[in-house]
Amino acid sequence: MPPSPRNSQPFLVQLGDLFLIELTNWRWSWRSMLLTATITPLFGIIALGIFARDSGPSTLAYVLTGNLVLSLLFGAMDKVQSRFTYMRVVGALDYFAALPIQRYSLIQAVAVAFFLLSLPSLLATLGVGALLLNLSLHLHPLLLIVIPVCALSLAGLGAFIGVTVRDPHEGGSLSLLVTLVLAGLGPVAVPPERLPGIFLILGRFSPATYAASALRQVILGPVTLHLWLDLGVLIAFAVAFLWLVGWKMDWRGTS
Amino acid sequence: MLVYDIQNVTKYYPGQTRPANRDVSLQIHTGEIFGILGDNGAGKTTLIRQMMNLLRSTSGEITLFGQPVTRDPLWTPRNVGYMPQESSSLNCLTVGEALYYTAHLRGLRRAEAQDERESLLDLWQIREMRDQYSNRLSGGQRRLLRLAVATVGAPPVLILDEPTNDLDPQRRKRVWDVLRRLNAERGTTIIFITHDAIEAEKIIQRVAIMRDGALAAVGRPADLKRTVDQKLRLELFCSPDAPPHFPPPLTPHEVQPGRWTVLVERQAASAVLGQLDLTQVDDFRLYSATLEDLYLHYAAVPA
Repeated sequence: MPPSPRNSQPFLVQLGDLFLIELTNWRWSWRSMLLTATITPLFGIIALGIFARDSGPSTLAYVLTGNLVLSLLFGAMDKVQSRFTYMRVVGALDYFAALPIQRYSLIQAVAVAFFLLSLPSLLATLGVGALLLNLSLHLHPLLLIVIPVCALSLAGLGAFIGVTVRDPHEGGSLSLLVTLVLAGLGPVAVPPERLPGIFLILGRFSPATYAASALRQVILGPVTLHLWLDLGVLIAFAVAFLWLVGWKMDWRGTS
Repeated sequence: MLVYDIQNVTKYYPGQTRPANRDVSLQIHTGEIFGILGDNGAGKTTLIRQMMNLLRSTSGEITLFGQPVTRDPLWTPRNVGYMPQESSSLNCLTVGEALYYTAHLRGLRRAEAQDERESLLDLWQIREMRDQYSNRLSGGQRRLLRLAVATVGAPPVLILDEPTNDLDPQRRKRVWDVLRRLNAERGTTIIFITHDAIEAEKIIQRVAIMRDGALAAVGRPADLKRTVDQKLRLELFCSPDAPPHFPPPLTPHEVQPGRWTVLVERQAASAVLGQLDLTQVDDFRLYSATLEDLYLHYAAVPA
């Protein structure tokens, strides 16, 4: 036997340390967060808002929440994708796998850290977007649950892309494509009555549809029973994506 | 006591028809300083990644302290400190943060982790880098940080992939001195890959030489040298544009542009020198076999 190896830290301690390590990614990510997760959605709000100005508050609500989802797609999904792709390419996964930690503590730490890092962009988009569109907000306390669940389900998708693609170029391209498809499919930024039927059907398989619906209810009201369906589907997406990431990730003898 | 027992290990990467390594069997004992030499692509890094359980072997088995590395995923990380060849994992952290978090994740309490950070900053003489971000460090400084990170928590085994690459001579010496000290004072088993055979000869106790994914030789350098020590090493320095003409059947090896090395039989040395046009040579040296010669000898001879 070796000379009494140390015990591993409990899962929550691992999660805490890894979360703090991942939070230091703000040192590189804040510029692109500002550009893509804040400025791009605000341009979207301005552009769509001009077209939808005379369509009434219902359509403007879709413009606002659709662009909040866009902010999360750029802020949480794309950045988590970049992080996982980067970790694979530069050998960071080997560094973590050589420590006595569990893979799910790392996966969750990345997802939660990038959710927090994307929060300022989301809140800026919400505040400035509401002002630009002249919408009055009716914030429901369930917002505190809905935003993390939306972010985690999209971060999970980003992580899955990150552990699947071959290199950062492919990851960036695929992530952009997924962002555009998810934002365009289903009633995310555009009301359902203005979408072709096929988009509505396909939109049912997109987490962005449920994220937009949930955000609309807790930000602009009214909250209906549909919110629980939205939350349930988003949680299912988050769990499924994070499980897939753990299954697919190159980690200790799995490759 | 056996630290690593490697039995008939083979690794095929997905989609590859040639194995990265094949039928490797090897035992490494407690307290050894064990070097792995071989050309690029010889399968060295694949082997140590298998030993770290970062890669699954296609066949064969590796045990660490008597337990298969694949049985408990935390067994190897709890016992082995690993320094990968390349890693930018710590890019966003300062040197101090990297050491502290690694220590805490290795199971040290917070206060112990802080003490460990301070101790390693001194041991590796990197205190002046404490508050610098890793991505602002030079290649050599990053390597020192990765070495310090591998030694966090004083694991009983260290596996180091090219620990002295990118280092200036002074730092290289420092690395070998520290590794020798860890081995002498703590009994740390040290396994490392290197291309720096001449430097490594100062501390290596046993060596494995790999060629085309297979072990070409394993043993103490002194024992292995007996197989080639009847030969002398002739080293020639000349213009890269005008390589020297070696008389047959010598098979020279260009170590770097303009630097050629060849092993010659002792009794033939004078004749060989006589046949060379030394006016076209900037400098030449003739000496007995070194670890580098072993490496060149076994890397050239089919396994």
